[in-house]
Amino acid sequence: MFSDMENLTLAIVLAPLLGSALAGLMSDTLGRKGAHRVTITGVAVSLFLSLYLFNHLVFAGGATINQSVYTWLVSDGIRFEVGFLVDRLTVLMMVVVTFVSLMVHIYTIGYMADDAHNWPQESLAGRNSYQRFFSYISLFTFSMLMLVMANNFLQLFFGWEAVGLVSYLLIGFWSVRESAIYANLKAFLVNRVGDFGFLLGIAAVLMYFNSLDYVTVFENAHLHKDVMVEVIPGSAWSLMTLICILLFIGAMGKSAQFPLHIWLPDSMEGPTPISALIHAATMVTAGIFMVARVSPLYELSETALSFIMVIGAITALFMGFLGLVQNDIKRVVAYSTLSQLGYMTVALGASAYAAGIFHLMTHAFFKALLFLAAGSVIIAMHHDQDMRNMGGLRKYLPITWITSLIGSLALIGAPGFAGFFSKDLIIEAVGQSQLPGSGFAYAAVLAGVFITALYSFRMYFLVFHGKERMDEHTRHHLHETPWVVTLPLILLAIPSVVIGYLMVDELAFGSFFAGSIEVAKSHDVLAVLGANFYGAFAMILHGLLTAPFWLAAAGVATAYVLYMRATWIPAMLAERFSWLHQLLLNKYHMDSLAAGIFGSGSRWLGMGLWRFGDTMVIDGWMVNGSARSVGWVASVLRHIQSGYLFHYAFTMILGLLGLFLYFIV
Amino acid sequence: MNFIHPQFSLALPEMILLGMISIILIADLFISDKGRVVTYLMTQATLVLAAIATAAVMGADVALSFNGHFIIDPLASLTKLFIYLVSMVAFAYSRSYLIERDMYRGEYFVLGLTAVLGMMVLASAHSLLTLYLGLELLSLSLYAMVGLRRDSSQAAEAAMKYFVLGAMASAMLLYGMSMIYGATGTLNLWEIRDAVAEGSGHSLVLIFGLVFLMVGVAFKLGAAPFHMWVPDVYHGAPTSVTLFLSSAPKLAAFVLMIRLLVDALPALASAWSDMLVIIAVLSIVLGNVIAIAQLNIKRMLAYSGISHIGFLLLGVLSATPEGYAAAFYYAIVYAIMSLGGFAMVLVMSRQGFEADELSDYAGLNERSPIIALMMLFIMFSMAGVPPLLGFWAKLAVIQAIVAVEYYQLAVLAVLFSVVGAFYYLRVIRIIYFDKPTERRELKPANDLKVIFIANAMLVLLLGLFPESLMNLCQSAFIY
Amino acid sequence: MISFAQTLFYLFSAIIIFAALRVVTVRNPIHAALYLVLTFFTTAALWILLEAEFLAITLVLVYVGAVMVLFLFVIMMLDIDLAVMREGFVRSLPVAGLVALVMLAIMVMVVGPQHFGMALYPAVTPHAADYSNTRELGRLLYTVYLYPFEIAAVILLVAIVAAIALTLRQRKDSRYQQVELQVAVERNDRLRIVSMPAEEPRP
Repeated sequence: MFSDMENLTLAIVLAPLLGSALAGLMSDTLGRKGAHRVTITGVAVSLFLSLYLFNHLVFAGGATINQSVYTWLVSDGIRFEVGFLVDRLTVLMMVVVTFVSLMVHIYTIGYMADDAHNWPQESLAGRNSYQRFFSYISLFTFSMLMLVMANNFLQLFFGWEAVGLVSYLLIGFWSVRESAIYANLKAFLVNRVGDFGFLLGIAAVLMYFNSLDYVTVFENAHLHKDVMVEVIPGSAWSLMTLICILLFIGAMGKSAQFPLHIWLPDSMEGPTPISALIHAATMVTAGIFMVARVSPLYELSETALSFIMVIGAITALFMGFLGLVQNDIKRVVAYSTLSQLGYMTVALGASAYAAGIFHLMTHAFFKALLFLAAGSVIIAMHHDQDMRNMGGLRKYLPITWITSLIGSLALIGAPGFAGFFSKDLIIEAVGQSQLPGSGFAYAAVLAGVFITALYSFRMYFLVFHGKERMDEHTRHHLHETPWVVTLPLILLAIPSVVIGYLMVDELAFGSFFAGSIEVAKSHDVLAVLGANFYGAFAMILHGLLTAPFWLAAAGVATAYVLYMRATWIPAMLAERFSWLHQLLLNKYHMDSLAAGIFGSGSRWLGMGLWRFGDTMVIDGWMVNGSARSVGWVASVLRHIQSGYLFHYAFTMILGLLGLFLYFIV
Repeated sequence: MNFIHPQFSLALPEMILLGMISIILIADLFISDKGRVVTYLMTQATLVLAAIATAAVMGADVALSFNGHFIIDPLASLTKLFIYLVSMVAFAYSRSYLIERDMYRGEYFVLGLTAVLGMMVLASAHSLLTLYLGLELLSLSLYAMVGLRRDSSQAAEAAMKYFVLGAMASAMLLYGMSMIYGATGTLNLWEIRDAVAEGSGHSLVLIFGLVFLMVGVAFKLGAAPFHMWVPDVYHGAPTSVTLFLSSAPKLAAFVLMIRLLVDALPALASAWSDMLVIIAVLSIVLGNVIAIAQLNIKRMLAYSGISHIGFLLLGVLSATPEGYAAAFYYAIVYAIMSLGGFAMVLVMSRQGFEADELSDYAGLNERSPIIALMMLFIMFSMAGVPPLLGFWAKLAVIQAIVAVEYYQLAVLAVLFSVVGAFYYLRVIRIIYFDKPTERRELKPANDLKVIFIANAMLVLLLGLFPESLMNLCQSAFIY
Repeated sequence: MISFAQTLFYLFSAIIIFAALRVVTVRNPIHAALYLVLTFFTTAALWILLEAEFLAITLVLVYVGAVMVLFLFVIMMLDIDLAVMREGFVRSLPVAGLVALVMLAIMVMVVGPQHFGMALYPAVTPHAADYSNTRELGRLLYTVYLYPFEIAAVILLVAIVAAIALTLRQRKDSRYQQVELQVAVERNDRLRIVSMPAEEPRP
């Protein structure tokens, strides 16, 4: 069908961009219907072409596509290009991104239908907000595709920043809300910290490899294995460790790893569809994808891998705790996302990249499902997000209820569901890892299973079962959400159940990622596990006997007891261990710490520098001073231009004489 | 000296131009004022024909003809093609201006074409004699064009100054050439190169001649301290002539410099490189600083032109092929930007109103946002704001001097381009933030407006895609 | 021993320098122009010493016979205020004189005998009596120097065009003959025969 892969890959990327441009620039002409039609068409085209490519690469055995589409510029022999590297890793990401994006697009029709109410009457931004929203999410899809399809670090960085920008725009979508503006600023600033490291990492790659092209860099990586650099005089660092950790700092920002995670819970200020798309399924996994993509470099630095594993483990466990005390339905899901991202990161640290990507994929489906289901609840509750006001909703929202249950089961890793395969793999892979820190990580991810089950089912029971705690007016209006909302839920629920069973063999133990992910022999924990793998069904059976299953079951049981039966216990516990409860409610004081030390500190520093450096030195002396003196010099010099011909001629002679005196005498 | 039968076909573009000049000169006698558009169209057609002919004789190889007086190499052909392009745009810009000012006469176009012919001779010159004659042909045509508006005493004064100072510069150039000839005994550029390499001629004599050559070249380029004519002539000349004067002839002067310094006297590179350092520094400093004090936009652009020439010289003084390519790139970029810059004045002017004071641009954004935006592009490009074209040109020359380790020079160039940004941004400020003094709708002629927008968009597009033009320039200096 | 030719050379050179100096120093512009004529004449004499007869004669014919005569006409027709011109001269003399002196010193240093002396540039052997300088010049101009020669011709063309474009004025209010109308005129255009009674009718 497509002989020319270049056009195909370009079409995948450009279709959402075109949709976004049309919806954004012609919002008045297209109207609401036109806007969602063009964007959905654009994303659908991308999805179908991605599926075609998936088939081509995975089933038809097509060769990896690696081509540069356009050379932006060449400087000192280094080419800055736009190009696409489409291998199995990429194509998997493309299908996930476009599929979830398409679901979210459809869902948005229902979610944003009444968006006009969210804006003050006179707000200009409220005009065409519906079309703008569609334009943004299509633009996000374009950016994300650019990121995953890049064949060089420059384009990766472009996509990285572009998704960050759209995320910023969407978190602050309701720009009339103070809290939304604070949240998007926070997301932007925290990401900036990460991006700083990321950019330094790319710069280090460029400096030592003289190329930004993935293939070139990876092929030459082993040449730099033993290079040491002195960043701080006197202490030599391995170049690979330095590059890997710098790049990972970028990933920590984007994928919200401790301690740069603080922006993600606040990002829930954005509309729910984007929480599902950007802050659960796709953008936040960009860091995971990046590390997997750059695996040939990471394999050369055990220090970096250990670092990654420890950071991931901290995130996986401690962010889960925070989910236990939240009352906002979206925030619970957000903390669960943080925790799951921690799992993926741990997998990367254990060199089980395939498991990380596998979990990324399953997580994309079930977490998008959970978010969209939460959104569906929020629609039904007339945009009340407090779980204390819910309960017993299963009667009113049957489809949402069932799909939520499926999502939760997938999340806690109930045997057979998608999450089970990926999460179990990660836990076992960590258990096999020999790297420093793997012991801690193993304990953390095991404990995390219990916590995950606890907060997931706490939310599930609070929302769908128990007493109906909403007020009379709301109860009166409760009804199932429209089909545009429930259809994506159903479509997402299907992969949440089956995708793990179908893919585990191929993805985790097969040669699916051969050529795109490299694992050193000594690190290859998945190969060890693969030796004891006898098929997906056997894995389910085996899963019933392992610790994670019993921990998850214990978590569900505990949740049932605490929130269905003995509902007085949580309150009692909160009172008894109030210091702990406070610590959790304050999110370990990370926010105040960041705001206090970094926020106030840098503000103070900024004020000082501004007063002294900017106002006095730069403005006073340098800018205004030099402007004044240049102006003065200019007004003096212009008088040389007297208008008299003989002055001019004389100047020429003087010039000649000057050259003579300098060069001859 | 043995006579070799010349290969006339190589000079086909020159012959076409000369033939068409003669035809236009005669045909114009029979064309009434109303039908003058025929002359105009014939002029443009001439340039198109010349371009086709140039492309036809263009080759990767170097070919000599007319007993070594004439050369076809990539530099010559490329320069010619750009000269045609720039001249066509300049003529197209001038049409409505000329009509409004009663200057729409055949002589304007004939003199313009002879100037183009002069530039072509310069571009293809391979002996001191042809260089000099080409320069004179160009200069003479330009003197006349500057003074063509007879009812303006300003224009007459400008023409007079230009002529007298130009004659002085020509005389110095000629004297320098005579010294080189005296020292080496030949006019042919490559023979001069070989003779100098073999050690004929005392170095003192050669340097003495070189200084005179340098004065002549610097004058033609308008580099300090031989720049005094530039502001007065740019200011006094009719704007359409200024536009022409500031664009295509700079390309020709650049080639003149390359031919004299690089083709003929590479052995003296250390000497001329030092001279160019002095001239470039003076040009960059004086041009940028004095421009700040200007209230007349034509004078401001004149001083900005002087500073741009200073930047261009940075590329040449690096004395590397990369540097020459960067300078060539700068010359082309400057020609494009300068066309746009003076076209701003043309777009704003109308019958009886020259629009050359900065205050005339106040609040332009409210009168015509699209033209204001285009002006913003051009001003930003001249200031060297990425990603517009001017940025890449500055970057290229600065890279060239950094490559030969003239770090102080690079720092100075960057510093003064910041100083320069001041007066470009002032124009933007006036256009966007000052209150308009008049609210009359801006109605430039359609062709003028379309070309102006195309010109400004070119500055943007070539800035976004800088590679192709840069590669073209580099191809001219592959030895 | 100084030969006859050398004697002539020094004589004419001395006159050239003297006359050239006078061109810029005499008060009266007419005198200045005449000194310029003298400069040209003696230069022509030098060229004859160099066996460049054609150039020498052209110099006299063109520069002296045509250009300078035109100059003289122009000077006589213009009303030049000598006092104003002198004023600037005296004031700028010190600086200008200093610059000129330094320049002269440099030029003597460079163009002096050690770089352009007889040792480096020996005298050419004189040509035979039947050698025609004019023919040789013509031969070169139309062969080896064909291209520069053509360009020079174009320069002259431009000079003509420029001169006409800059000076020819067609005054809108000037009245001049229109020959074709004069020729095409018919009797009826000029003459109208009116029949009228010989006497005024009585009222």
